[in-house]
Amino acid sequence: MKWLLKIIDAVRPTFEEGGKLRLLNPVFGALEHFFFAPSTTTIGAPHVRDPMDLKRFMSMAIIAVVPCALAALYLFGLRFIAIVIVSYAVGLTVETLFAMIRKEGINEGFFVTGIYFALILPPNIPLWMVAVGVAFGVFVGKELFGGTGRNLFNVALVGRCFLSLAYPKTLSASWAEPGRGLTGHLLAWNVDSLTSATPLAAAKQGEVTSFVHMFFGNISGSLGETSAFLIILGGVFLLITRVANWRSVAGILGSFVVLTGILMARDVVSEPMPTLFGSVLWHVFAGGLLFGAFFMATDPVTGPTTSTGKWFYGIVIGSSTVLIRHFTGYVEGVTFAILLGNIVAPVLDEIVVGIRIRRLRSEG
Amino acid sequence: MKFKGGYNIYLKGKPDGIVHAMPEPTVLHLPLKSQRFTFSDIHVKDGQKVHAGDALAKDPDNHAVPLLAPRAGTVRLKVDEDYIVLEDVAQLDERADIAEEQMAHVEKQLGASGTKRVKLLSLGAWQFFYDAFTGALPDPLGTPQAVIVSTLSLEPHIARGDVQLQKRLLNFTRGLEHLQSLLEYQPIYLVMPDIKSEFATKVRNQIRGYAWAKMLEVPLIYPYDHFAILARRLGLKRDAGPVWAVRAEGILAVDRALTLTKPCTVRIISIGGIGVNSPTHLKVMPGYPLQTIKDNHISEPAARVINGGILTGETFGEGALGIDTECRGITVLPEMQEREFLGFVRPGWGRRCYSPSYLSALRLPFLERYTTGLRGEGRPCVACNYCAEVCPAGIMPYLIHKYLYADLIEEVEQARVDLCIECGLCSYVCPSKIDLQTQLIEAKVLIEKEKEEIRQEQLRQEKIRQEEEAARKQAEEKAE
Repeated sequence: MKWLLKIIDAVRPTFEEGGKLRLLNPVFGALEHFFFAPSTTTIGAPHVRDPMDLKRFMSMAIIAVVPCALAALYLFGLRFIAIVIVSYAVGLTVETLFAMIRKEGINEGFFVTGIYFALILPPNIPLWMVAVGVAFGVFVGKELFGGTGRNLFNVALVGRCFLSLAYPKTLSASWAEPGRGLTGHLLAWNVDSLTSATPLAAAKQGEVTSFVHMFFGNISGSLGETSAFLIILGGVFLLITRVANWRSVAGILGSFVVLTGILMARDVVSEPMPTLFGSVLWHVFAGGLLFGAFFMATDPVTGPTTSTGKWFYGIVIGSSTVLIRHFTGYVEGVTFAILLGNIVAPVLDEIVVGIRIRRLRSEG
Repeated sequence: MKFKGGYNIYLKGKPDGIVHAMPEPTVLHLPLKSQRFTFSDIHVKDGQKVHAGDALAKDPDNHAVPLLAPRAGTVRLKVDEDYIVLEDVAQLDERADIAEEQMAHVEKQLGASGTKRVKLLSLGAWQFFYDAFTGALPDPLGTPQAVIVSTLSLEPHIARGDVQLQKRLLNFTRGLEHLQSLLEYQPIYLVMPDIKSEFATKVRNQIRGYAWAKMLEVPLIYPYDHFAILARRLGLKRDAGPVWAVRAEGILAVDRALTLTKPCTVRIISIGGIGVNSPTHLKVMPGYPLQTIKDNHISEPAARVINGGILTGETFGEGALGIDTECRGITVLPEMQEREFLGFVRPGWGRRCYSPSYLSALRLPFLERYTTGLRGEGRPCVACNYCAEVCPAGIMPYLIHKYLYADLIEEVEQARVDLCIECGLCSYVCPSKIDLQTQLIEAKVLIEKEKEEIRQEQLRQEKIRQEEEAARKQAEEKAE
């Protein structure tokens, strides 16, 4: 690959200070560092570094959702590819513009946002809406706060939340019947729309979707959230690589199960399945809970950093999801619950850090 | 406190257990600066002939710890500002540079224990002692609350205690006895990797019946051998007085100084890392020409030669001529030469990583070839929390980094940046490649400076107040 490095070195002056295309320096830098590791070396102690960098870190997050993405292709057709392309193209444009203004490098964080955002959209969403949503998410959710690492809210969820508040009717008309059989909708571009037929919405009208279908994913829902099995597969991978922390996931699922169980045992809410255990598990698999718990709430930037904080963060999200699902007009509550969790995360950190610092005061 | 954090880096080129004596040098370049010492008070003249064991210079800021001549030779002062050069070096009889009448005076004033302490200082054994909390040279005439003796060195690839102690176990236990005779009832903690090992059993048999020696087993994870971590692990408090800490080589030096009354100048250092012909241990003396060591042992042409380990050591500068009095090992690390193509998508079977994000997570630990590459570009902190997980001191480097970014010095101080032991692990694991260690050290220095300024200001105000008081009294007296 020496020839590529030679080309890169040859065109470098054009993009540097004083060159003709210096405004595009972030783009050039991103491309260069995509292909080749940077040439910087350590200066003093420590003289060596861990191989992990943000590119690998974010790649892990992308690899984790590959099963879900493939399932989306199978279940909802090739349109998913178009949604991903629009999401990346528009989001990267906004990201690049800001990188140029700030004269910083383009951050890898967006490559995760781009695919995650596509996976939480309804299958038949108009493409222009994808563009609007991702642009809003990146601009308001991230760049206004100062870019990757400084954002308060999960970028993909800000975009999704904006769409569901701004275009509720179009969104609820964008659900699609999932593909079945050997090829599913793999060969189809457009899949017929259904109205309000996600399992949670259907359950409110008394129709209970089969548990097995929810486990394997051939149900109606957002592109990537339908298959509980594949989400758990990717999620566990993410937890093992320690890119995501298990504490917030455990906090969310634990508090969700406990609170739903209590509410059902007391007959405050109705049980969709014959047994209590089955009903609770049905609710865990329904909607975006698993996807949110494994992939959205584990975003290290917008969650708390301390271990204790992560537990409470999970509990806040898990229990508010239950409350929103059962006691409000919304059928799905994970998006709002996680955004709420993002708000309390700094507060939780503040408290935990305060306690830790008080404990540190007595040290040696 | 329990042990927290820590992480082992497996660098290729682990030194074997053999000690090689280097050929006798003809010239010695003795550096006037080392990690802790600056020998600014020079005691010899240009062209003066000295014996082995003569004090060439002293460090006035560190209890006048001497720089001893390791061999007889002729002093050259003006060749290089930072060095004392010894020419025509010869291995003649050593002598202890102690004036008899002075010792008699010391004995009268300080007693037997004081004499021993002065001997330790002037024979070069005292420089092996550390204050466990600050890492500085402790006061030789002070009284410690405890002594920590460690045979461990967990940073790759620093000279190992068990190698230095080979065939010298008797000297080690005799050194411990000497050390004990300086104390009254204070305990000596003997830190060992495995208190059931053959080596530990031998030591235990030797010191059986000594109530003052206590053994402590430490897991072999870097940097649990750091003296500040050990002191905190033992529950020793900073306010309760100094804690002396010394490694195996220091105990051997104590034995040599007090049993034989001979100067301690020869050290066993390690040479390891990638690009070393055969990683091993070397028997050298301070001032030994670095070039000779390089010529004999290093094959890699573009390599960084580090004074110390890969995590805490300092690169030998361009003009470095000889090894200093505190050198514990030389580590060689190749410079990064080739930029890796699509490095971040590789499966990484041969690439060990703190987080199990490479295939190597499925393998047992293996020695790896490292270079000086940063292996990624600098990015803002993503709060992954790796630095806090790995920190052995129990502080939160990412938090301090954020406070520093926002210029909140008071919060930095409250987050106990002073507990940082500068092990370098936070910088090592950071996926955003933030140089946390340097930032923490800078913050420590800054806070120390501010505290010092406040102290000076208080002293000054105190002085002004006293002067005013004196003036008032005088005025009153006059009025009367």
